[in-house]
Amino acid sequence: MEQKPTQRGVRPMVTKELLENRWKAGLGALIALLTATLAIYSFSWAAMLGPMTLDTPILSTPDRELLRQALTNADIWTWVNWFGKNAGIILAALAAVLGGTTIAGEVSRGTILLLLSKPISRDRVLLTKYATAALILLGVSGLASAAIAVSGWLLGYPQPLGGLLVATVLVWLGSLSILGWALLFSTLAPDSLRAVAGALVVAVLMGVPGLTPGGRPWNLAAYWASLPAYQGQAFPALELALCLIMAALPLVGALLLFRRRAF
Amino acid sequence: MATSLPRARTPAPITGAAIELHNLTVQYGAARAVDNLSFSVPEGSIFGFLGPNGAGKTTTIKTLLGFRPPAAGSARVLGLDVVRDSLAVRSRVGYVSESNSLYDGLTIPQLLAFCHTTTPRWDADRVARHLRTFRLPATGRVGRLSKGMKSQLALCLALGGDPDVLILDEPTGGLDPLARHEFLNIIVREVAAAGKTLFFSSHILSEVEAVADQVAIIRAGRLLVCDELDHLKATQRLLKLAYSAPPPPGELAALRALPGVARLEAEGRGVRLLVRGDIEALTGILRSRPLAPRHLDNVPLNLESLFLEYMKDGAEADAEGGAPDGH
Repeated sequence: MEQKPTQRGVRPMVTKELLENRWKAGLGALIALLTATLAIYSFSWAAMLGPMTLDTPILSTPDRELLRQALTNADIWTWVNWFGKNAGIILAALAAVLGGTTIAGEVSRGTILLLLSKPISRDRVLLTKYATAALILLGVSGLASAAIAVSGWLLGYPQPLGGLLVATVLVWLGSLSILGWALLFSTLAPDSLRAVAGALVVAVLMGVPGLTPGGRPWNLAAYWASLPAYQGQAFPALELALCLIMAALPLVGALLLFRRRAF
Repeated sequence: MATSLPRARTPAPITGAAIELHNLTVQYGAARAVDNLSFSVPEGSIFGFLGPNGAGKTTTIKTLLGFRPPAAGSARVLGLDVVRDSLAVRSRVGYVSESNSLYDGLTIPQLLAFCHTTTPRWDADRVARHLRTFRLPATGRVGRLSKGMKSQLALCLALGGDPDVLILDEPTGGLDPLARHEFLNIIVREVAAAGKTLFFSSHILSEVEAVADQVAIIRAGRLLVCDELDHLKATQRLLKLAYSAPPPPGELAALRALPGVARLEAEGRGVRLLVRGDIEALTGILRSRPLAPRHLDNVPLNLESLFLEYMKDGAEADAEGGAPDGH
């Protein structure tokens, strides 16, 4: 053999992935930015809307209590409306779209043959795609948190920066599990649509235990956010560990499947 | 147009095998797309890989590049096992796929940068020269190029890595005759003249005939023939016999039994014999028969005729439940 197979190629692959995903990333960032900003801006309307909301019969007692606290505390209001709810939904949807189109998109466009004809290992191909998507999710999550920090400062409700940082990392780690599942489905599905749909189903299923009586501890999606951590009262070690495990498992599965996949 | 191409050259001296298949079998589920395929491609040759749609050409190529694992048998490229040494194989092989699918969302410079850093031995000057030859734009989105231009760009990218083996899967499908001519010209000039190996599949048999020095024909995943093109053409002829009256069945049976007669088709006073082997000897035998033909035409076969004859052989073998021998 005259020449070693190239070990370069990560940076241009990341560039290619970023270029290919720029519209998805841009749209996701815009939605996240608007929703996060609205989450903190809406605090001033909370007192007015609050009493009506608290009377809603579908609210369970813990939810009603949390909302009661949120109406008088901007930190809790912001956490409830962004990290506790919308951040997870938006990042999970973006993760499903980014992950679901990684391999299945290349297969349906036929570009997988060009990609795999290069002397780059399949592990490297998949991990580069995963890392790029994770980077985009981190960027979107960070951008939304920056918007909250700036908006809070401008409105006179400065948010705890440490808590904001921890919550940003936590919700990002949580979204990585959906990214992993989307990647796994992407290595199996013949088209991106099915891979994205599969990942979204997993995201919904993660939250289903939370709807059942006594099922809250099994609501995996609930571990993506921690109010005590946001308020600086506790370090979310359990949440971080669970999010890491939930992110790693589907990724390992996707790697094993992609190694064996024939094209 | 293709016939005016600079004919490659006389068959390259065999110094070693660039590609070797040993009883290669590749399956899609339970279906065998490639069935016990064995042949070798000499280094420095221009090798035409032919077969009808669904014959297993693309599957074979995908296996050579490690996209699909063999179910049985083995394949080697430049002495490297395509499964175990897949990365090393791909670092020395250039490939243009059937669909010529490139990243439409990237600009040409972005695609070139991607290929540059993922391809060892990248020669940017050579790529720029080929882009100019094909009059391809140096900027702009890949997605805005026509299908033919994408084929040309794919070839430029494959050549950019200075590959030892260039594998092309139906590379000229979307090209007009002029572009096809330029495409093949570049291949012959850049790859063959440099002593590199070119392995390509194509449905356009005239272009294969214009450039290839070796061919393999497969059908239903099985090898029908693998030989030097000139040898194939020299040893296979169509003999057209014209008799004064329709020959009796006994005479037809006798003709069919003559050495070298691969197929006989009779129609009225005319008989067509597909002959493989020593044609002169057979011609002598035919002329000396008690019922000699009034007229005998020795018609050389072009690649297309040879291909069709082998397809008929394959169909007959399938009907009889056996496989024809590839040699």
